This record gives sequence, structure tokens and C-alpha cells, in this order.
Amino acid sequence: MSLSRRTFLIGAGSVLALAGCGSSNDKASSGGGKVELVYRLWDEQQEIGYKAVFAEFTKENPDITVRMEVLPWDQYWTKLTTELASGKAPDVFWLTVDYFPDFAGKGVLAPLDDLISKAGLKLDAYNPNVVQSYKFEDKQLGMPKDMGIVGLLYNKDLFKKAGVTMPAELTWAPDGSGSFLEVARKLTVGTKQWGFCSWNHNQTQWLNWIASNGGHAMDKPYGTFDFAGQKSVEALQFARDLIFKWKVSPDGTRTNPPTGQATEMFYRGEVAMFPANNALLPFALPEVKFPIGVAAMPAGPAGRTVVINGLAETMFAKTKHPEEAGKLVAFLGTEKAQRLMGDAGYIIPALTDAGAGYQAFWQKKGIDVQPFLDSAAGSTVNLPIADGWTSKSTEINKAANDLFLDKTPVQDIAATMDKIGNDR
Amino acid sequence: MLRPAPRRTQRIGAYKQTAAAYALLAPSLVGVLGFLLAPVVIVLVLSLFDWKLLSTPEFIGLANYRKLFTDSDVWHSLLVTLYYVIICVPGTTILSLLLALLVDRKLRGMKYFRALLVIPWMATPVALGLVWSWIFDPGRGALNQFLGLFGVHGPAWLSSPVLAMPSVAAVHIWQFAGYNMLFFLAGLQNIPPSLREASSLDGASPVAHFFSITLPLLRPTMLFVLITNVIGSFQAFDTIFVMTEGGPGDSTEVTTYLIYDEAFKKFDFGYASTISVLLFAVVLIATISQFVYFERRTTYEVSG
Repeated sequence: MSLSRRTFLIGAGSVLALAGCGSSNDKASSGGGKVELVYRLWDEQQEIGYKAVFAEFTKENPDITVRMEVLPWDQYWTKLTTELASGKAPDVFWLTVDYFPDFAGKGVLAPLDDLISKAGLKLDAYNPNVVQSYKFEDKQLGMPKDMGIVGLLYNKDLFKKAGVTMPAELTWAPDGSGSFLEVARKLTVGTKQWGFCSWNHNQTQWLNWIASNGGHAMDKPYGTFDFAGQKSVEALQFARDLIFKWKVSPDGTRTNPPTGQATEMFYRGEVAMFPANNALLPFALPEVKFPIGVAAMPAGPAGRTVVINGLAETMFAKTKHPEEAGKLVAFLGTEKAQRLMGDAGYIIPALTDAGAGYQAFWQKKGIDVQPFLDSAAGSTVNLPIADGWTSKSTEINKAANDLFLDKTPVQDIAATMDKIGNDR
Repeated sequence: MLRPAPRRTQRIGAYKQTAAAYALLAPSLVGVLGFLLAPVVIVLVLSLFDWKLLSTPEFIGLANYRKLFTDSDVWHSLLVTLYYVIICVPGTTILSLLLALLVDRKLRGMKYFRALLVIPWMATPVALGLVWSWIFDPGRGALNQFLGLFGVHGPAWLSSPVLAMPSVAAVHIWQFAGYNMLFFLAGLQNIPPSLREASSLDGASPVAHFFSITLPLLRPTMLFVLITNVIGSFQAFDTIFVMTEGGPGDSTEVTTYLIYDEAFKKFDFGYASTISVLLFAVVLIATISQFVYFERRTTYEVSG
């Protein structure tokens, strides 16, 4: 019979016992002055890029090597949180803006201010949004790593076939006016090919509609959620109308997480325009058989505002090798390290001056990423931050699935999302 | 001739025997105590705490239980679980009984055929779930490709709120039918052949024979299969976790998945423990009532 429950209990038990549960530090050798640090990430494309970064780091610090651990997104947070609780976590690991509050006040992240100043790095040289996002009680707990910015990827073959050129500026409005919907309509062919894909993804989808309609998912960081506000509801309604009213997008039965396949539909050439974080490009390129174009997200009644999700590298407060891990974190913030990642096309570095190579890399691949950079320089909005956001975001995202099915009124769904978010 | 040993030595002998028994039991006893009973006790204790993993545990008495009774997600998950059990238990039982009747004959190569049917049970559930989610894939999956041969446009099995549950339940049935078949097979082979002769001499048709003789004599096996299946279906997690993660919406969010969600997605270990206790109580009640129901109706021995 299924052992699932038993397995679960054993899992819970060993977490409690705080004894050797999937610890990664144990394996690090510390004999002979040599230290192996563990660096945890979830992106297997960037893993390739970081090999070069760590080779360079070891060249400068011959006694320190870095081992990377790549975990899938979901498991990343599960494993990291249980490990942090048990006191045995990776030395250095990635964090997102929205997960930051759940860790910041718990004493598991080491303050980096001293090592930043000692290494001669200046925080004002980095994108201010990313720097601010990882500040907690006036302490810098994260080394700004990159900017994840939302733009619109499109299938150039489908545009050519439909005889449509991408306008210089896409616009949308809740009533269905604007060039975006017009283009999406021309690219929709029955139920086989869709001009757009409106699906349940907060970062690349509905949070952008809300912001560019002049609404706010949240009034201020750690503030009150306002999904049910008029501007937000209009925006969420637009996300639904794209499917059921204007019929330019597949519906939630095919795209809702966790089983939905929105991204795959774009890869397969069934969707013409697909909003994405720029970090998707290295993943998308090998998957698609068509040339990819990049445009800025459609501008709404309140102009263009897109979600920015800058990542940071954080250091475990109880690492066994604070000095070595500190050296690594400082190195990751240097122009050399950030350039290595940017020049290889993986990320837009958070270090403002290190970004030129990113554009050059993608230019060589035939993709003009300027719209991403322009959007990053324009009006941006962060993912909402709230205490207990990890659990709330799961619930809110689940509730948002209903937006992409034509059952519950949008107003009711938005109210539910607020209720979850504002529940103390 | 041996003289009867004096009482004292007898008692010492008994002690020695008991000691030896415990010594032999020790390895598995450690496992049961350390990995089954201890976690159960811990879960009971944790259910009285507010513990968000990274925060300090705080004793809150029965607050988690009060939350439990007003939490519609929990009751919804119990209904979903019940739905799963209601599909899986009869499905697995009937299919495994039919398979047992089918392979209960002496033909060449039959033992290989039997082994083949048990393989799904031996495979890793997570791997199974992954393979089945490929099979169910709406575009490229084997199932819809097959339906396409007949001009049928197959649905999105796992992303339809209506079809997702029957789909994951079908995988459960497929997974466990062969395994349960083994028990029915053993039960069938314990029925003396003379009974068949007797009933056919009396002119009973094969169908009448099955319902009046075979089935009643299979009751002990039936009891075992039903109880382990009910418990197993209540506890099902792995294939659902891999195939739907409780979705779409909450249409396949069984209670075990909810527990996982509370503990490892929301890191609310206290509340997750509380739901575990509830599930334990539900399974206990289901099992006891099955025992009571079958007790009066089961013959354990065939005299004759």
C-alpha cells in the first residue's frame, strides 16, 4: 500500500530531530585549509553560467571551491526552509523579493554591510530597486544579483504568416480598445492558434495589467492588498475577457497551474505573444523552432508599468565558513562576476554598468532585448511583500485560477484574494 | 525419561524465551518506535502548537482544532478524499478479483503473466505518476494520440476539474489491482476443489457457484483487501502529488495533499499536524466500522 503518510511522518520527524536531514554542509570538506562552499540555485541554465564565475573565483581564492546545488522551484523553497530551520543550510543561496520577508526577520540571513564595504563595493552602483528590496531594518541582507523584468516575447513566424508587423507601441484598455487586442485578434486562428496567452501567472501577467491600469495590488510594502479596488478588478476582468470575450487566448482548463502548459504552448507555436521574465530567454531559445521577437508589455490607461523581480544572493547566518562565504558573496557583487553572467546572456546584472554585454549577446542570437532594458529603466513595480507571504501567495495564486475559468465573478475572486492577503 | 522440570527453572526458561523474543524483535521494534510511534506522538504534541518552522513554537492549546472545524478547505479535502476512496476501493477490488479469477488456472506461462500484473505495484509511485502524466498529456500524450486514431479529440484529462479525479483514481486502480489480485488468488486456491465438484453435481451454474460458494468463502480475503485498500486510498499522495498537485483548482486536493501543502508550502507545521490527527481519526473510524460490519458475516474456516 501507499507509504506516503508514513514517509511524510518520517520526514516531519527527522526535521524535528534536527538530525542530519539532507544537510549539505556536512559534505563540505574543511581539511587541509581547503573549503568547499555550497551555492544553491533553481535555474539550470544559469548553473552553466556560474561555472565560469566560480572558476574565476577559485582562481582568485585557490583554497575555496564552490559546489552548486540546483533544485526545481517548488522543492527549492521546501528544502531551503526546512534546512534553515534545522540549522544546516547552503552557505550562499538565491532569494526573491517576495520570499525575502519570510526569512529576513528570522536571523537566518547574514548582514552583508561590512563585507560589502570591506570589498570596496558601493551599493548605489546597483539598481536601487533591487538594493532596497533586500534591506531589512537598515541592514543589507542580500547582494543584488540581477533584474528579472517582464517583456513580451513573440513568434515572428506567426506574425509573418498573418502579415502583421509588431507596432512600435502596444496599448490596451479595459474596454478592449488599443493596438494590442487588434494584433492579438489578427493572430488568432480558430481554436488552434492564439494571439495571446492570458494565464494565471502573477509576475508576468495579471500584476502587470493591474499596474498599467493604474491600480495597486497592494498600497505599500507590508501594506493592505487591494485586488478588489476598481482599477484592479478592471484589469483582472481584462485578463478574463481576453479569453472569453475577445477569444484571443486559451482558457484556464489548459493553462492553469500546476498542470497547465502555457509556456509550452508558446514554445510549440500555438501562441503568438507571450509575456515573460527575461530570464526565460535562455530556456526558450533551444525549445522553439521560430525566431523570437521581444516587445515591451502593452501600455495601459496609466502608461506602462511592469513587474520587476530582482534576485539577490544571501548568506546563511550560521554558515560554518563565514569568512570564505563572505568572500564569495563579495565576489558575486563585483563587476567581473556580474559581467560574466550578463555577457553570456543569462541575466541583466543588477550592477548598473555591467549590462552592455547582455544586449550584445542576444543581438548575436538575432534577438533585440532592448525592450527589456527600456522597461527596466521605465516605471516598474515590485511583487507584493507581506508577512507570511509564502503561504499567502500560494493561496492567492490558487484563488486566481478562477479568473481564467468563466464561473465566479471577477469581483468575488478579487475579494477572496484580498481576504487571504489581509488575513493576519 | 525426562522428569518434569521444577517450577523455578520453568519460569527462568520462560524469561529466557521472552528475552530472546525481544532481542529478535529489537531491530524492527526500534524502527516501529523511532519512525512510526515517535512521529505519531510528536504530531499529536505539535498539533497544540503554532509553529511556522522558522518561528519559535508557541503553545496555543486547542486553537488549531478550533480552526480545523471552521476551515472549509479541510472539509472539502475530506469530501475529495471520500470521492477518491469511493472510486478506488470498489474499482481496485472488483478488478483485482476479476484478474484473480482470470489467472487462477493452470496454463503454460501463467506465472509470468501473474508477475506482469504485479509490476505496477512494484514500480516507484513518483515515476509512475510522471509517466502517466505524459500519457494523459492533452496534445502529445499516448492516450489522446490513440483516441485520435478513431477521430476522437481527447480532452485535457488532468487539467479538467471534472476528469482529473477519475484520471488519477484510474492510475491508483491500475497500480494496485495486480497486487490485490495476489490475495484473491491465494484465497481462491484455498477453496477445496471438491466444493466445485459438489456444486456442479448439484447442477449449479458457474455464476451461481461463484456467488453462492466462491464469494462467501473469499470473505476473509475480502475483509483484508477492503481494509488495506480503504486505508491506502485515504493515504494516497504520491501519484496525485506528481500528476495534479491537488489541482486543477482544488478538485484533487485530498487531505494528505492539504497536509503537505500546509506543512511544506506554507510551513505551518502545527496546523498540518492537526489535520493529520483528523485524518488519522477518520481512517480509524472507517477501519473499525469495516471490522464490525464483517465480523458477523465472515467464515474463516472451510470444514470439509
